[in-house]
Amino acid sequence: MASQTKTKLLARHAANAALNIPLPGIAMRDAHDLGADEPFYPLDERIIAGAVEALESGQTHYVDVPGIAALREAIAKHLNAACGTSWQSANILVTAGLQEARFLTIQIIGAQFEQIGVPTVAHPGLQKALGVRRRQVVSLPVETELGCLPSLDEIAAALKNGCRLLYLESPSRLSGAAYTQNQVARIADMLAQHDAAAIWDQGLARWVDEGCSSLAALAEGATAAIGEAWHGIGLGSWLVGSIAAPTDWIAPMQSQKQIMAICTSTASQYAALAASEIVGETHQQRLGQMRRQRAAALAMASELGLDLLPGAANNLLALQADAAARERLAEAGIDFAAGEDFGARDIVRLNIGAATATAIEALG
Amino acid sequence: MSKKKQAAGTNLLYQLIAEARTYDDVIVMGRGDPDFDTPAHIVAAAKHAMIHHQADVAPAAGLPALREAIAARVKRVNNIDVDPASEVVVTNGGQEALFLMVLAALGEGDELIVPEPNYNTYADSLAFAGGVKVAVQTAHEADFRADPAVVRAAITEKTRALLLVSPNNPAANVISPADMRALVDLASEHDLMILADDIYDLFVYDDFVHTSPASLPGGKERSLTLNALSKAYSMTGWRLGWIVGPADLMARVAELKAAISGGTSIISQHAGIAALTGPQDAVDMMAAAYARRRRLVLDALDEMGMQYGVPQGGQFVFANIAFTGMDSAEVAQRILSEQHVLAYPGSAFSKERKDYLRMTFLQPEEQLVEGLRRMKLAMASL
Ligand SMILES: Cc1ncc(COP(=O)(O)O)c(C=O)c1O
Repeated sequence: MASQTKTKLLARHAANAALNIPLPGIAMRDAHDLGADEPFYPLDERIIAGAVEALESGQTHYVDVPGIAALREAIAKHLNAACGTSWQSANILVTAGLQEARFLTIQIIGAQFEQIGVPTVAHPGLQKALGVRRRQVVSLPVETELGCLPSLDEIAAALKNGCRLLYLESPSRLSGAAYTQNQVARIADMLAQHDAAAIWDQGLARWVDEGCSSLAALAEGATAAIGEAWHGIGLGSWLVGSIAAPTDWIAPMQSQKQIMAICTSTASQYAALAASEIVGETHQQRLGQMRRQRAAALAMASELGLDLLPGAANNLLALQADAAARERLAEAGIDFAAGEDFGARDIVRLNIGAATATAIEALG
Repeated sequence: MSKKKQAAGTNLLYQLIAEARTYDDVIVMGRGDPDFDTPAHIVAAAKHAMIHHQADVAPAAGLPALREAIAARVKRVNNIDVDPASEVVVTNGGQEALFLMVLAALGEGDELIVPEPNYNTYADSLAFAGGVKVAVQTAHEADFRADPAVVRAAITEKTRALLLVSPNNPAANVISPADMRALVDLASEHDLMILADDIYDLFVYDDFVHTSPASLPGGKERSLTLNALSKAYSMTGWRLGWIVGPADLMARVAELKAAISGGTSIISQHAGIAALTGPQDAVDMMAAAYARRRRLVLDALDEMGMQYGVPQGGQFVFANIAFTGMDSAEVAQRILSEQHVLAYPGSAFSKERKDYLRMTFLQPEEQLVEGLRRMKLAMASL
């Protein structure tokens, strides 16, 4: 006999559209997989050595919920150097990748606010995290000309209407577009004016030339900054991320982290710790290579008359592509991320890598 | 009063753990973290994966090879038949599995029947989901058996699921095959889901037998069963666990898993394959050690004249300290401050259990002997 209880449960889950949105892969499988969230790079031997040494010396037990002390300190130091913040270790919560950081911030900081303002276009992980437990959502419409970021006017309108918590990506996880320093300053002013707060996904900031402004620098007491540790270092499938936030927000997120995970894998944390020492070293070289590959792809795209979205992060590229164009991509054996999953129609997101040129050719 | 007195539940435990760390000579009989390091062949497999599989990408539900190993394991140990492709989801430890199980099965206002005492994260997860805990109390005099008749009496219109943690934490009882049969029948009769936690299934003592509800007729289609490598393979730091269950529900579990953390570390997953498919002698060695240590602890408690539910499985004993006339939080605090021995107060598990202490067997024998000696001194001074 069919179980009524189960049938009802399944119906409730099936009706939860946000929860059922597909996510892109976390890390690229190979050079032709241009659809995943992180680029394809081999791990530096020193990162492996750091993880192996920890495991072989018995770091196979539970560790502190918010993360091992040395990694929290290293993350704080990196964020402060990159963003001009003054976080301490106590402001850092290590997470099992970026999605756990999204989930904890959205659900736990979100619980302190009546509403949360979210862009209509953002990484699908945002909707998915929102889908786990209902929150009152205020949509922030985006503009294609801004690379699918919400305009400052839309942000102002949401705040004026009483929304006190915003979730923003800068750079955008779809287009790589980022708010300028002036725009970030204005967002910080608006937050202060309305006594509002923000969850700020800045995981891709490291791929922006000259760096990218962090809201945390200007509104440190009202911002939770999330990101990978570190995007593109090769630890995508090892899942290490972080939340940097005021300590009175860290405390309830730490309690929730204990409830849903106890702690983050020690191998991943010690690998990230080793990575923290070399992340700058490999970065310039990778950024330079991406910049060249992206410039070549852009030139080719404009030659072919393709419509590009403005972007700032060098690791990805978003362009208009109708169904026929996507079919050509698929025929060329190129995986891409579909804009629909991010809330944007007829757009594809491509990682920058060796196969990007092939993808552009196929699209043209 | 000091802040110490105000902490409750898990926070109280973390406060005690923090104090314990400040003593060089501390003996830890608190946290459920096995003293053994992860067996070397598993660490070696992780190292191999770091070099050769670092770019492996897994779906949120886990690497297919690991899901196959899990399916084979639950067949071999638990007699549960699952399809690795659609009925297994890999998680960040048993803890994430627990959270996902609760979220998958219970929503706002839904009631979960929880035999008490029990692992407190169930109550925390249920609170997140908006569900309601309906406690069924058990007694140490009956070795914390949850009588199916008492469970039946707790069922209401709003009951949606039954929690069965066997061997239990902290009560250490094992649900007998007959009781399990009765509980599964009860769930079928009232159309309830079963949340089964088998995390201690390899540690069962004397003649007790572990039974998974999903292995019984009528059990599988209504059960979500969790397990993890944490306790069995001394892999608490790796964060690797799983849920198995019927495909329709597991599809929802997989979506929830993706929403909460996106995936599970590829390195831990490869280590997990090695643990499940490699030599099992380390598990046997550890199980034998826990059996010896359990005897040692029980003998010491008998000497102290303490009452307890006989631990039929698991890695701890839940002992009654009512004779002290003191709250367990205070007793645990004094044992820690005066004798540098960490035991967990029962009040951290539930407010009805403030006259219990949980002590683990997760220290080498000489440490345990010394810990118990000190504990005796502390108890005498209360
Ligand atoms: C009954 C029970 N379930 C689940 C867990 C979670 O274990 P882990 O997340 O370390 O695998 C524990 C840990 O103590 C437990 O006792």
